[in-house]
Amino acid sequence: MERLAVMSEPLIDERVIKDCQQGDREAFRLLFEAYKDRVFSMAVYSFHGDQTAAGDVTQQIFLKLMTSINQFRGESQFMTWLHRLVVNTCIDEQRRRKRHLGFGETFALHTTGQQNPPERRYERRELSAFVTAAISELKPKFRMPVLLKYVEGLSYEEIADVLGCSKGTVASRLNRGHKELARRLAHLRDQVVWGE
Amino acid sequence: MFAKHVTKDLSAYCHGELSPHDASGVAEHLIGCPRCRVVFEEIKLGVKLAERLPEKKAPDSLWQDLEARLDAHASAGEFASARKVASDRSIRPTARIWQPRFLAIAATLILALGLGAFWFYKQESRPSWEVARLNGSPRIGSARVNDKGRLAIGQWLETDNVSRAKIQVGSIGQVEIDPNSRVKLVQTRPTEHRLELARGRLSAHIWAPPRLFFVDTPSAVAADLGCAYTLEVDDEGGSLLRVTSGWVALQLKNRESMVPAGAACATRREIGPGTPYFEDASENFRQALSKLDFEPHDSDWSKIPPLNQVLMQARPRDTLTLWHLLSRLEGADRSLVYERLAALSPPPAGVTRDGVLQLDDEMLKAWKAALESTWSNDSGLRKAWIKIWTGALGRVKGVEGGK
Repeated sequence: MERLAVMSEPLIDERVIKDCQQGDREAFRLLFEAYKDRVFSMAVYSFHGDQTAAGDVTQQIFLKLMTSINQFRGESQFMTWLHRLVVNTCIDEQRRRKRHLGFGETFALHTTGQQNPPERRYERRELSAFVTAAISELKPKFRMPVLLKYVEGLSYEEIADVLGCSKGTVASRLNRGHKELARRLAHLRDQVVWGE
Repeated sequence: MFAKHVTKDLSAYCHGELSPHDASGVAEHLIGCPRCRVVFEEIKLGVKLAERLPEKKAPDSLWQDLEARLDAHASAGEFASARKVASDRSIRPTARIWQPRFLAIAATLILALGLGAFWFYKQESRPSWEVARLNGSPRIGSARVNDKGRLAIGQWLETDNVSRAKIQVGSIGQVEIDPNSRVKLVQTRPTEHRLELARGRLSAHIWAPPRLFFVDTPSAVAADLGCAYTLEVDDEGGSLLRVTSGWVALQLKNRESMVPAGAACATRREIGPGTPYFEDASENFRQALSKLDFEPHDSDWSKIPPLNQVLMQARPRDTLTLWHLLSRLEGADRSLVYERLAALSPPPAGVTRDGVLQLDDEMLKAWKAALESTWSNDSGLRKAWIKIWTGALGRVKGVEGGK
């Protein structure tokens, strides 16, 4: 399976970023077009596949980008800066939504989980849908390294830079994320391992 | 040799994030440590699953919505510089380049250049394996391999009736391709090396943890669990696997055969792997088994049903065949197999007749574990395997895969 698109590739050069800092709408459009799918993917996987929520968060990210791009001084890579913005916005928005989720809704989510164990819930879905669901259910600290690795194609060092932790921590969190995915989707082992 | 367990390094190992020295150490440890191998299988599955993450397309309407929000922010004064630039630009002569007509031309040019560059990049950067000519004129695609060549992902290696070639499988082993064969490199990465054998014969010698090297054939997939084997595919897509050391698993859908050294297994299109058998079994035993696997309703072959012939001629070592037959036959036939198997090698404690006839997974595994000592001298084999593998470590840089 091919790795997903690699956001770390320099799709946007310095001039476009400078034009964005000047408030150039067309330059911003270029930047948006270059990264919208990857940012949207990160958001979708962070919000349990909810495309509406993901669309809203994607807009928030680009809005923040436009309003704060003047703060980007070039001391770090633009992509590291953008990745941090994506990760932080997704996590903040998740927290905000959790706070605003009423008791009844929280309870409903939990009881649904009890009535439909993962094996049952995943039974009839396509492989990619299984993976999407399982990734969404990872804790953010395990999910984000997984997304940065597989959606953005970052190295451990780059992930550590984005998350502000050590490479060892990245390795450890990815280990946990992989194990968790394997545990939740163990019933797909034959399909995945044998490459059917 | 890594004396400590390596579980914390396994994701980094799968992602090629370890130094060649550390990767070699992890690989070597995995060969000898069943505990870490179990975790490795788990991590590897997690990696393979995560690699299936599909990219999500942002909705087309997103830009319009975002632009409306940008305008709202701009009118609130947050984009003072933006408005200024926009108004300044209206009087700049260069503003014409942003007109739709110019943008369309520019986009077309960029797309054409981008596609060209992407094609070139893909051609140049595809992982590949080294191919050495052994005899004749093997070909990769339409190009002849003189002495050395490289087989990239998606490319076919073909030999004519006199050609032979040797493929270096990343850094985990070698595969020799015999005449009249057609082989494609499907995948090479730390968690999976995969060839497709469309026709002909290959001989594989692999030194790596189990289930890293796969060969797809039209009628089954072969997964390396050990050292060496030959695999031959005929014009109808059927194949014959012969294992010379270690173990190989053959699989199609839910049907799997585990084949140890000294044993063989045939496969057929639409059916998958037949039942494995030791090659020193009698001719009649092997013929009867073939009938049972692939032509069970051919009553002309013999007056004695093939299952009866297999059971009558089975030796203690042929419990390999009988154990596999348990889950492939039903009703009275399964009972007959159980009785013969139990007569040759009584089931271990905790394994009951009822449980086996109901295909209790744990009981079948327990019985298999007890029988395995009669199928192969695993401890000696494992020692030999580790010796070969660790010897190879001197000249390979880990098992990090292709170029």
